[in-house]
Amino acid sequence: MDAEVQEDFREFVANRSSALLKTAVLLSGGDRHAAEDLLQNALIKAAGRWHRIDEPEAYVRQILYRQQVSRWRLKWPRRELSVPELPETGSGTDASSAAELRLVMRAALARLTARQRTVLVLRYFEDLPEADVARLLGCSVGTVRSTTHRSLARLRDLAPELAALGPAGAEQQPSRDFSPVEVRP
Amino acid sequence: MNVEELVRDSLREQADEPMPVQPGFADRVLTARRRRRTRTLASVAAATAAVVAVAVAVPLLDSGKDDVRLASEMNPSDIIAHPDQTPPRDLIAAGNVALASYYTWSTVKQTDDRGTAVRTYWLLDQKTGKYVKTTKWSYIAVAPGMRTAAVLEKDLPAQRIGLLDLLTGEVERWIPVGRGVAGVEFSPDGSKLVATTYSTNPDLRYRADYDSDGDGKKNDWMPQFGQSGRTGFYVIDVESGEGSWSEVTYNSQDLNVRQDFAFSRDGKLVYSGLTTAPHMQYYDFEGNEVPKPANEEYVHWFNDAGLSPDGKLVAGGYAGDNKQSASELLDPYTGKRVTKVRGQQLLAWVDDKRLIAWDIPPGSNEFHNRLVLVTIGSDKVVPLSGFRKGNDGAAGRWTPIFAER
Repeated sequence: MDAEVQEDFREFVANRSSALLKTAVLLSGGDRHAAEDLLQNALIKAAGRWHRIDEPEAYVRQILYRQQVSRWRLKWPRRELSVPELPETGSGTDASSAAELRLVMRAALARLTARQRTVLVLRYFEDLPEADVARLLGCSVGTVRSTTHRSLARLRDLAPELAALGPAGAEQQPSRDFSPVEVRP
Repeated sequence: MNVEELVRDSLREQADEPMPVQPGFADRVLTARRRRRTRTLASVAAATAAVVAVAVAVPLLDSGKDDVRLASEMNPSDIIAHPDQTPPRDLIAAGNVALASYYTWSTVKQTDDRGTAVRTYWLLDQKTGKYVKTTKWSYIAVAPGMRTAAVLEKDLPAQRIGLLDLLTGEVERWIPVGRGVAGVEFSPDGSKLVATTYSTNPDLRYRADYDSDGDGKKNDWMPQFGQSGRTGFYVIDVESGEGSWSEVTYNSQDLNVRQDFAFSRDGKLVYSGLTTAPHMQYYDFEGNEVPKPANEEYVHWFNDAGLSPDGKLVAGGYAGDNKQSASELLDPYTGKRVTKVRGQQLLAWVDDKRLIAWDIPPGSNEFHNRLVLVTIGSDKVVPLSGFRKGNDGAAGRWTPIFAER
């Protein structure tokens, strides 16, 4: 990395790190330390080919997402233990209970697997269509759809407080039930 | 409001919070990059006895290997059962857990009175969703996520650990080890491996001079109890391939000949089973004996399922009668029975309420069992596989290996 490229890299980090860190925090389920590690790793990878990257921010974001779902960052919610009990909430629709519900949701999101959380961030925070998410993560649209479905179902499992909410569009497939049992010949 | 809207609102609220980055973050990144490059180059250059070198650098982002279409993910059904299949041919799964592999035993005779017990594995082909027989490996551990398996070649103890891509069936990386390894296990998050080292093959068998299985024939092969050649363990970081070896000595009278190490629930310690009380001994990564973690006081290596995902229950032993099979679930801190659940032997937690177990029909032969899904607070038993045939140790009897899908 020559001096000019390095200066360009520093400038990018100074200007865009805060925004990138926000995404990394969402991907890490609110764990700031994990988010910094994630961003640092992504930037290290990007630094190696900085002079060849046309759109640095898109590139770094893609590394962030892919790191989260890559084969070594496997599906066990490794930071689950750092999350306290889900806060209790009352019911109702006033502003305070809506805020409480968001806290409950935040805690539940933290307990998803990295892969599940990443798909939800892309779908609902970045508002990307399923096909774009699939392209970004290098998987099929079917995988995006099933992961979204399973993640939303898992959120309901983790936080019974969410039961009062209406069904989501992505939840129209069979739920986590015992029937029907699929038996292939 | 529905769940999707709440997810959206919660994420946006979280992202709106100020997120200042420490000054000098760019320098930190550049310094870390320099260190990492130096370390990778150094470890490729020289593998010492205690340090495991990186065989190949971590694949680059755009190598195309991230195009993941795993059979275990393509089918999102909560329960995928094949009650007509024994041994299974097609993917079996419940919730986030799937049957990743299974194996059968056979004894390969070396001399008249000595042989080697050999595992033949059937491993899930992530392209087709079918279990495919392989005789290439002497030992297999499947990582959570079921994308990768750690494999050992024939003739234990092995001098390198392979990382097998379950989508391509190819070993994508070898991790050389200075000391012979005969068992490997992934940490719960899949980031680390514990590899148990032995001075001799722990799967050696000797012709027993008595009729062990009671079939009237003196034709049984037994391990030489009390003569474990276990020497210690490596803890290896999967991504970098780096790790260190710790010597562990223990009275071999209290060990099975094969007594592999495995990780504690939090992945911060390793443990070994013992054949006598206290049944479990924990170690830090330097090989120092440490007390049991409080939540694992009542975890026993011979009860496969262990702690529930939320850590509130630990699987216990058989607690049924001749009318109905049942196993007990204990409080992990007190060891007191909290409840019972159907099933002869609890194998793996599916979620906080459900487990995969072996089960038998009431009153039948204890060896005539099949995989089932059982639920706390319910008598409902959902068959997942067909019944196993033969007595314990009989040829063709399969042993399941589960992983998170």
